[in-house]
Amino acid sequence: MEHMQSILQVERVEKTYGGGQHGVAALKGVSLEVEAGGFVALMGPSGCGKSTLLHLIGGMERPTRGRITCAGVRLDTLNESERARFRRKSVGFVFQFFNLLPTLTVVENVALPLLLDGVSGDVARAQALALLERVGLSARETHFPAELSGGEMQRTAVARALAAQPPLVLADEPTGSLDSANGLQVMQLLATLNRELGVTILLATHAEEAARYATRTIRLRDGLIEDPYSHAAAL
Amino acid sequence: MLPLCSLFHQFILRALLREKLRTALTILGISLGVGVVVAIRLANSNALGSFRAATEAVAGETTLEITGTAGRFDELRLRELSWLRDYGRLSPVVTGYAMTEPTSATEKKGEFLQILGVDILRDRLLRQYDLLQLREGDREPNAREFLLLLADSQAVVVTEKFARRQGLTLGSTFTLIISDRKSEFVIRGLLRDEGPARALDGNFVLMDLAAAQWAFQRLGSLDRVDLKLAPGVAVEVAEAEITKRLPQGLVIVRPAARYSQMEKMIAAFHFNLNALASIALLVGLFLIYNTVSISVLTRREEIGMLRAVGTGRGVVLALFMGEACLLASMGAGLGLGLGQLMAKAAVQATSTTVETFYLAVVNPGATQPLQGVEGAMAVGLTLLLALGAATRPAFEAAQVAPLEAIRGPERLLKSRQWSWRAPVAACGLLILGGLLSRLAPVNGLPVYGYSAALALVLGGVLCTPIILWTMCRQGDRRLIRLPRLLPVERLLARASLGAAIPRVAISVGALAVSLAMMVSVSIMIGSFRETVVYWIEQTLRADIYARPLTRVTSIAEGDIDPAALALVAADPAVVAIDALSVQRVNFQGNTISLAGGDYAVLFDHGRLLFKAPQDAYDQLRRGIGRDVVSVSESFALRFGKGPGDVVELPTPLGLRPFEVIAVFYDYSSNHGVAVMDRTTYFRYFPAARPSSLSIYLQPGANPEEVRSRLASAVGSRYLVVFNTNRGLREEALRIFDSTFAITYALELIAIAVAGLGVMATLMTLILERRREFALLSMLGMTRGQMRRMLMIEAVYIGAAGQCIGLIIGVLLSLVLIYVINVQSFGWTIQFHVPMAFLAQSTLLILVAAAVAGLYPAARAMSANAAQGAREE
Ligand SMILES: Nc1ncnc2c1ncn2[C@@H]1O[C@H](COP(=O)(O)OP(=O)(O)OP(=O)(O)O)[C@@H](O)[C@H]1O
Ligand SMILES: [Mg+2]
Repeated sequence: MEHMQSILQVERVEKTYGGGQHGVAALKGVSLEVEAGGFVALMGPSGCGKSTLLHLIGGMERPTRGRITCAGVRLDTLNESERARFRRKSVGFVFQFFNLLPTLTVVENVALPLLLDGVSGDVARAQALALLERVGLSARETHFPAELSGGEMQRTAVARALAAQPPLVLADEPTGSLDSANGLQVMQLLATLNRELGVTILLATHAEEAARYATRTIRLRDGLIEDPYSHAAAL
Repeated sequence: MLPLCSLFHQFILRALLREKLRTALTILGISLGVGVVVAIRLANSNALGSFRAATEAVAGETTLEITGTAGRFDELRLRELSWLRDYGRLSPVVTGYAMTEPTSATEKKGEFLQILGVDILRDRLLRQYDLLQLREGDREPNAREFLLLLADSQAVVVTEKFARRQGLTLGSTFTLIISDRKSEFVIRGLLRDEGPARALDGNFVLMDLAAAQWAFQRLGSLDRVDLKLAPGVAVEVAEAEITKRLPQGLVIVRPAARYSQMEKMIAAFHFNLNALASIALLVGLFLIYNTVSISVLTRREEIGMLRAVGTGRGVVLALFMGEACLLASMGAGLGLGLGQLMAKAAVQATSTTVETFYLAVVNPGATQPLQGVEGAMAVGLTLLLALGAATRPAFEAAQVAPLEAIRGPERLLKSRQWSWRAPVAACGLLILGGLLSRLAPVNGLPVYGYSAALALVLGGVLCTPIILWTMCRQGDRRLIRLPRLLPVERLLARASLGAAIPRVAISVGALAVSLAMMVSVSIMIGSFRETVVYWIEQTLRADIYARPLTRVTSIAEGDIDPAALALVAADPAVVAIDALSVQRVNFQGNTISLAGGDYAVLFDHGRLLFKAPQDAYDQLRRGIGRDVVSVSESFALRFGKGPGDVVELPTPLGLRPFEVIAVFYDYSSNHGVAVMDRTTYFRYFPAARPSSLSIYLQPGANPEEVRSRLASAVGSRYLVVFNTNRGLREEALRIFDSTFAITYALELIAIAVAGLGVMATLMTLILERRREFALLSMLGMTRGQMRRMLMIEAVYIGAAGQCIGLIIGVLLSLVLIYVINVQSFGWTIQFHVPMAFLAQSTLLILVAAAVAGLYPAARAMSANAAQGAREE
């Protein structure tokens, strides 16, 4: 296997919520590196800091200490609007719930990242339709999220996460609220996209069967990476 | 199950406290509405009440009054009335108004005092004189002192209040202006601050009958004879008997008839003010409806949960009705205080109108505080209305099924369903409005006109969802037809507004109502102003106008001395003078003006605008010398008379038939004017003096120069005010504008209330959408984009309101101009749309809406992105 370029570097990142004695240390010094095109599962018990780490990588929050470099960009150097632009271009998100704006149709939801980036309506729509085709939801184009099943909503969210063609997709328990059949379908979709489009995927989950699709697993416990050697072992 | 009380606390009170801003906005809105209504009520009752109290107080124990058919009558006629003594005690009266000297050069008018001239020895038996103080420290005057009061023609009795205000005391000398003269008086007695003195806010002067005749230059004439019936004589019987026996030219009236006449005249004006003020209250009720609706809509799941744990429908209903009651009672309580504060301003704002058009003096100081009962009634009424407003949403809450708690998303689907009921009802109401506007007034009040207006307004409000729907363009193709400017912000704004239509429609509707009123009133006033300007342009043809100094309000009659007239006529630049005499008389229970002018001068120099007939000038020319009159438009409308009809007008010789030969436009008064040529007029009113002069100058003469020459020639002896044509025009428009200032003020308050509603709605929408904002922020929406999106939503709301407001406003203005105005004031107004004003106010409203969106936007952005993502 060729040594590939890394797309994400997390160096000694700490995150503490609240100050003083009552501060909660969600991350206590996490370092990791993800290579471009990888499919990494982030696993660990509830409250170990998975979501926190994804939020930091996605530029939604700032670490208390440490440094994150994502897609060649040092996140700590970005100001508020640069972060917004970074989120728009460089990462896609899939969450457990509430991925879609209930007031927009499926195709509008998928096109939204492009529209926010100033792409014209026609172009954004064409790209969104192509993505919907990929996730098998062409027929649902003009439906509203409330008219979709849970699995369809998550597939739409996956399509939306890919709309701006970001190098990295962050998925936080995307199958958490689905039954096993639908969860399977979403995981297969993510794996296919990872393979075919070469998009890097960082998946937070505590479901082993979901993690099975990943090419590598990182385990978190109490805000620390459990087995630093697994990093090397996976290579 | 929890008791109702603690449920109310947990479910309603907590929510209200949580959304402090919206709660505060709602309460403020209601209180403004209630405040305006209370203020207008107080102001109206000030105008009526001070007149009524004054009339009653001055009347004393007078039960009946004898007066001339055309007002004043010759005192020699008293001899024909000696038989009246069988009925009771008599006291002849001379009365009128005098003005104090204006305090500064800029001040045009002083205080007006009502003068009562009586034969004090006789009058003691009719009126209370135990309040009189003739010497320091001594309060009980004896008969000798009363006699002394008679001896001096300068002696007067004033009120303690007036004396204090003017820094006068017993024995002081002071000046009063009566008509065009100054007179000196000496204070010989003080009236304590009770009875008449109090009613008139101290503006009351008592003097001897002969002295009053002298002061008013009405030697030998009386205004009336007051009659106090002997004990045991029934008023109705006496009135009937006396009426039969009274000689030609005299009539009997009850003192109360004077203010009921005035009440009748002012009723339409007050009705209109009340109607306008009610708009603010109506909009306030919209706010209650809105707040309760939102609180139901946003908590369907919670209500479902309550129902699921066994709470009955009745309890849910009571909870939300309770919310409305709480908001309304707090708003009403605050509104009462606010109303008292605003009442003074309202009195000030309406005083010009009342004094110019309604023959009444306004005493801003005499505003009565709100009575406890009235206050309680206002609160009670507001509560009742609020309960009515909350009925629908509260019942909706009671209908929520226990299962609703787990069926959240259905709510969103429901709002997308389209119903044909609203548009159909809207059309029905608009048609109903059209039909109602064709009905005649009831008792001179445009009741159906206002019903038509109400129907139009409601019809318009029902159109709100359709307009919002169209603006938000719910559809599959909206991605393809994305606007060029701010595409994504507008797409999102439309999408979320479109989904919230049921929630925003109510407050947009309320906004639309206020804006419609604003639009219609401004069209009405704009049209009226255009009409008046044209009328002034056409009819104000004289170069200089003259009037006695006291003729600044409608109550002060005042006339010009013939010697002053001669001085004016002697000026070499003066070519012609049209001296107009005006007499106020009672015609069919209404006060009208009977005027005599010089038709010859009018034909040669002046101009009137005639409504009918076509050949009015020829008719007038032929009518000179005959018993014919031309009447003002408001006279014609009020009494239903036109060219060819005969009217029985009161003259000193009794009722006389006159043929109406023309109807002219007149916007200077609305109480009805009948004009005859001076040859006819002087046959009936030989002693009449001119009340005003229209002076025509030689071509090329400088009016300003002549004006100052006349002022200095006449002004040293007579207090006559000379105005150039331009000066008078400016004054006329100033009065016009100040008359309508209150209308704009009321409208602005209504719009402010509606604005509060929109703000409150936006805040609720924002709170509901916190997760959406977090999602958008995660998808890379910048703060700028988010702020613009929310401002666009606010602008859409403003635009929808203004759009409906403009449509309904134009329709309403047609009703106002062609129905309400004609029915209540009797004026023809040419329809004219003040385009610039409307364009400007539309722009203003859109900008204001955008600014109003800023605060909710700031609130929205404080929702942290990651925070929103975690909130599940
Ligand atoms: N905004 C916050 N303020 C305070 N503490 C927080 C905040 N966000 C997260 N935490 C805490 O940080 C720790 C890590 O939370 P995080 O959501 O990252 O866990 P997780 O691994 O995603 O758990 P789960 O599997 O349940 O989603 C938890 O103890 C949590 O309580
Ligand atoms: Mg998590």
